[in-house]
Amino acid sequence: MKLEKTKTIHLPTAVLGLTGTTDGARLYAACMDGKVYEVLPATETVTPFAEGHSSYASGCVLLPDGNTLISGGYDGCLCWHDVASKKLIRRVSAHDFWSWQLTVSGEGKRVASVSGQFLVGTEKYEPAKASGPTVKMYDAASGELLQSFDQLPPVLSVAFSPDGEHIAAANMMGNISVWSIASGKSVAEIKTPDFTSWGIIKSPHYLGGIYGLTFSPDGKTLLCCGMGPMTDPMAGNGKMIWQRWDWKAAPPSKQSQIPENEQGSGLMETIGFSPDGKSFLMGGRQAQGKWNVAVFSEEDGKLLASLDTKSRVTRHHFTSDGTQLFLSSATSQPARKDGKWPDYGQILCVRITT
Amino acid sequence: MSHFSSPEQRPGCCVPDEHRLHRRLFLKGLVATGATAVTSFHGLFSNPLFAETVRRSQKKVILLFLCGGPSQFETWDPKCGRPSSGPFPSIPTSIPGVHFSSLMPRCAKIAHELNIVRCMHTKQSEHLQAINLLTRGNPDRAGFMRPTLGAVVSSTLGHLDTKIPNYILLDPNPEGNEFKEYKASDLSGWLSAEHQPVRLGGSYTQLGSAVDALADDREQRQALRRYFARKYENERHSASAAAQNSAFEKVKGLMASADLFDIAKLPERDRERYGPGLFGLHTLMARNLAEQGAPFVMVANGMPWDNHVFQHEIHQMLVPELDRILDCLIADLKERGLLDSTLVVAMGEFGRTPWLNASRGRDHYSHAWSLMMTGCGLKRGVVVGGTDADGVDPDGKSFNEQNLFATIFRTLGIDPYAEYDLPGFPTFHRVEERAEAIEEILA
Repeated sequence: MKLEKTKTIHLPTAVLGLTGTTDGARLYAACMDGKVYEVLPATETVTPFAEGHSSYASGCVLLPDGNTLISGGYDGCLCWHDVASKKLIRRVSAHDFWSWQLTVSGEGKRVASVSGQFLVGTEKYEPAKASGPTVKMYDAASGELLQSFDQLPPVLSVAFSPDGEHIAAANMMGNISVWSIASGKSVAEIKTPDFTSWGIIKSPHYLGGIYGLTFSPDGKTLLCCGMGPMTDPMAGNGKMIWQRWDWKAAPPSKQSQIPENEQGSGLMETIGFSPDGKSFLMGGRQAQGKWNVAVFSEEDGKLLASLDTKSRVTRHHFTSDGTQLFLSSATSQPARKDGKWPDYGQILCVRITT
Repeated sequence: MSHFSSPEQRPGCCVPDEHRLHRRLFLKGLVATGATAVTSFHGLFSNPLFAETVRRSQKKVILLFLCGGPSQFETWDPKCGRPSSGPFPSIPTSIPGVHFSSLMPRCAKIAHELNIVRCMHTKQSEHLQAINLLTRGNPDRAGFMRPTLGAVVSSTLGHLDTKIPNYILLDPNPEGNEFKEYKASDLSGWLSAEHQPVRLGGSYTQLGSAVDALADDREQRQALRRYFARKYENERHSASAAAQNSAFEKVKGLMASADLFDIAKLPERDRERYGPGLFGLHTLMARNLAEQGAPFVMVANGMPWDNHVFQHEIHQMLVPELDRILDCLIADLKERGLLDSTLVVAMGEFGRTPWLNASRGRDHYSHAWSLMMTGCGLKRGVVVGGTDADGVDPDGKSFNEQNLFATIFRTLGIDPYAEYDLPGFPTFHRVEERAEAIEEILA
């Protein structure tokens, strides 16, 4: 397998969220300027939607009919947009703090958003409990709140099971919770120390966490990604890491993790299976190593292909035939020059060949 | 021997009342208590009313050192809607037209009690050099180590009667990269060893071992003996002073005040208000120490503000903690009648860049940054200077570390421009180049 970057489309600010049509003809980008953009890779046309968020737009999902886009933002809001007119349909105030991540169930009926501020909870700077639910699930069509779930904040990532019966969320402390949507009850709790740092060297508090989370296509396992512990958190040089957990086992058990010889260092933010389910992708930022985006075999976890984009990758989107990959990305924000701020957001178009 | 050559007699030197505080109050105390009843300072200070009056009126400093460099954008100088802005909105404060980050709602409500300098412009953007610059007040000069602010305060405002050290550094984190190196350096500089800080804090440093170390250190004991002798000679009480083994007194004093350094002994209600994080608990300890007469307490907690990575993810926690701590500290000092005599400074060694790096971080930025200082007779509710729309450059005037130190010294009633009398040394002043104080906030 080979990953080959074919095109870079520039946007004004970092792209934090990405989705698109199954053929990749239309992409949607949620950006740090609070705006949501439609991006046409063929012509490199970038068109903003009429309304956005008052803080960073952190994520976006496209409903299966292709007509409605839902975005989440650091203003705590979820916004429903009409794709054709680019006009806002609905704005829902979902959280008192950021929507860290947003996801849609496979059949497109539900959308979930996770939140929660890291506030000091103990002498050792463990997070304080949230004053309200940190995981919220809405009806994707009406915007009605369907269910809420509690997890220790900040909750960074969220995923629906392929059959739509379960929802999982993961937080800064390396806790993954799985709930039954039918009963609203927790059905699995995973706790791993492998994604979280407590920085005695400089910063006596916690940081890190699980930034990407997805169910396997058969729904039996959960894949999560982030960055391994660091003694100096400000170095940002924890090992790139993914782990695969059998969440249905009692107790849940770790099945596998990234091969040691493939690990560079840096925060991994996005993880997901390829359309054929035979491989999965992990991407993020490289502090040290040879790649920041890689595809691994579903069967044995071996690295199949990798790419160094020289940027921070935040989310990914495959075309349904598995031949193209789009990556939302950011470089370092350049300093203001002659009174203007240069662009630093990117969507990278990648060809996949086998 | 004094470290200064007759500062009161030089043109331009201030001769504030505070310089005469000890003597004036001492004489007042003699009258109040009856001279025959007073045979020593210990006797004098055994008069509770007098001791309390002295304690409250003596000038003190609490320095919350935000090591690593906090972001001005997420604290005192938000740039909402600009490309340099982070994700946090700004909120109005009690000063009309002035906004803080939304992470500081409590400080926004007491903005009229604070002063914000938004146009700090310094020239060191590496930690160790910048920490030295902002705590010693002047650029390095090869081969000469300047004393830190705490050491200068110790040497000038050090109390006569106290059993509490004159320069206390509370830092629960024994590490800290460059800050660790700083902490291990000579913090009293060319002032003698007696003005080194006593460093205590948290669950990592036990008072007992610190005291043991002090008592077992022959040089320290000798330095302490010299210190007490000098202070007593200055006040013409050398006869009574000479009779004491002051080093052991000092150690005994530390032991006697051990409870002040034990966070477990802090009142539960106060622990809840300031805590639960160690930075808050140590600030509470600093409040207690200041109340008990400690002239200089510096509080730090490692180097947590250096957010090259996860800037917003960490500031979302650190800034609300700072917000709560400052609100509690200012309220408590006011309530106790101590704010008028206690200078509170909250600052790092620099600020953070207006632009984000690819690791979700802001890097070092000394070009335009902010700090807060209030109390001790300063005006209140003043925002000094500003930055341009993006926070890239100071908008008009700017101030550096020398201006800051000139302000601090004047506030404390210490001559900023006094010349050190250092045999064999080049000429040094407390603040070089006669840098001006930040007049906008001086009363």
